[in-house]
Amino acid sequence: MTGTPDARALAAGQLAQQATGGDLDAFEELVRRMQRRVYGFAYQHLRDLDEAHDLTQEIFVKLYRNLARYDTDRPFEPWFWKLAANSTINYRRKRVPMPTDQSADQATTGSESGFPAHDPALIDALAQLDPAYRLPILLHYYADLPLDQVAQSLSLSVPAIKSRLHRARALLRNSLAESEEAGQ
Amino acid sequence: MNALACARVRVLLEPYVDGDLAHNDPETARAVGDHLVTCADCRRQHQQAVSLPFRMKALRSPAPRATLVAGVMGSIAPQPQAARAAWGLLVPEALLGAFILWYVSGLDGLTALASGAWSNLQGLAFWGSGTAPLPNVPVADVLLLGAFITLTAIAAYHLSLLAKLDQSAIPRFTEHRGA
Repeated sequence: MTGTPDARALAAGQLAQQATGGDLDAFEELVRRMQRRVYGFAYQHLRDLDEAHDLTQEIFVKLYRNLARYDTDRPFEPWFWKLAANSTINYRRKRVPMPTDQSADQATTGSESGFPAHDPALIDALAQLDPAYRLPILLHYYADLPLDQVAQSLSLSVPAIKSRLHRARALLRNSLAESEEAGQ
Repeated sequence: MNALACARVRVLLEPYVDGDLAHNDPETARAVGDHLVTCADCRRQHQQAVSLPFRMKALRSPAPRATLVAGVMGSIAPQPQAARAAWGLLVPEALLGAFILWYVSGLDGLTALASGAWSNLQGLAFWGSGTAPLPNVPVADVLLLGAFITLTAIAAYHLSLLAKLDQSAIPRFTEHRGA
């Protein structure tokens, strides 16, 4: 079922506000609107199609169950991505490492995920990154959140998130340089 | 100004690329720029640092499954079948409760039930120790015991169903979805 034309014209925050009042059509439209970004975020973090699907569903179900706590006077996106980030951290904690996992904290690399990677060097570098660095990188560059919203989502200050992003990018840069050298 | 070493430049590359270094420490930013003119290795690292945000933004992900939205909505929607089953259990519970109440019928009945149960237990204990024959327990008492056990089992199952319904219920939500 698709959302009503009225719902389609609304911003995510307004849809969330309507959904908080019990409008399931508005909630469905909100899920429809955000599913690609949330699924992409989950996929880039986990590099597994099935797990990304499960995590995305979990994030939206948690969103529904926590809508009553959403303060409609505040912007929706930082609040939502904070919930998404927490769900992602908890999801990774819940994961039982498979015997083939090198590390529960390392995501599957590009070619193993079943989806062709167009930048395998970057995918591999991201997979090596500690989740504490990968999460802000994905929120900022992939989910397209501005720095202040990433900071709010991860309950950190803007300078702290900036410093973490710089460190994460430096680590990625070093990994990319190493893989380039190895490839030459 | 002192020339910067490669290791120092590489630590500063990200704030340099973002413009934070030029804002906070213009002199060091100029020194990094000067170093990049003369050092090919650091220049390559700088190019990586410049291109990285664009490469990140260009990462592609598969499309979410077509069933995702339906799956989410299915998970959050009230389960009418489960709700019907939960409320439907009230019928046998009420019948069993009525039977038990009818049998014990007030305080006298309750006292008679307690003394009857006690004498039955005593009779069974004597029979177990071999000092008395098997007591003759009234059929109604057996029926009552069966009804009580059944009522307890149904009530426990009912509670588990209600607990599940309660987990998915959101107090602030009132269903007013269109058909």
